Amino acid sequence: MFDLIEPIVFVLLSVALVGAGAAVVLLRRITSGALLMAFTFLCIAGMFVLLGAETIAAFQVLIYVGAITVLILYGVMFTPQSPRSYPLFFQRQTPLAAVFVALIAVPVVFIALSFRDGGPPASGGGDLVPLATSLFGPFAFPFEVASVLLLAAMIGAIALVKREDPLDDEFGEERL
Amino acid sequence: MTHVPLGAFIAVSAMLFFIGCAGVLMRRNAVVILMCVELMLNAANLALVAFSRRLPAADERGSVFVTFVFVIAAAEVAVGLAIVLAAYRNRPSVDVDEARAMRG
Repeated sequence: MFDLIEPIVFVLLSVALVGAGAAVVLLRRITSGALLMAFTFLCIAGMFVLLGAETIAAFQVLIYVGAITVLILYGVMFTPQSPRSYPLFFQRQTPLAAVFVALIAVPVVFIALSFRDGGPPASGGGDLVPLATSLFGPFAFPFEVASVLLLAAMIGAIALVKREDPLDDEFGEERL
Repeated sequence: MTHVPLGAFIAVSAMLFFIGCAGVLMRRNAVVILMCVELMLNAANLALVAFSRRLPAADERGSVFVTFVFVIAAAEVAVGLAIVLAAYRNRPSVDVDEARAMRG
């Protein structure tokens, strides 16, 4: 009875993932799109658990569902929602677009399904210890560079949205 | 236990990637474009983790790369939203087809 539980969970997650992803692209209401994007991130975390990467799933929930979704929601609420319709392309070229989709999709599906599992999946013990051993062993220097990148991004974001108040800015009059 | 084959994970990853790609090409709103870029990054993450866990030669390197993708994605969203808000301060809309100031 429990033999089929993993494929069933996989199919449910796949349908939810593709449906929510398509809704993010197609929905007119951007707030709903942002919440469905968070749902997509949760489904990806479920996929990671299915693959046996529980630590990555925890990171996914913390960083994507937690931090990035909140940032995107702030971005949605700070900006206006334009009433215009969204499609720029693919409006009058439906047959041509179908041809191109078929040309790309068929090879992609064949390549994707051609990958075979090598041996039994690694099991037991979770992925935290091997991940930490790699991250703080051979990848210690890129790890430190990543922290510098985060610092640079934080300073850059603050500098970009800093309000240039002419009263506080000694060069304000020259700029005006 | 019946295990889901690796190809199925890669197929779902490819579908999600192309959905995000279509969103980047179709939508006008800059915030929605950022959301679709996040979808594409997530699809790549799924493929990396699937290969890392299911291929015999692979070790945890795929998961390490996924960790770095998390870092890059967080930085990208922070800077991207800052750029969108800074651009919104200068013009009344965040639609990318109206941002023509830097065009040639």
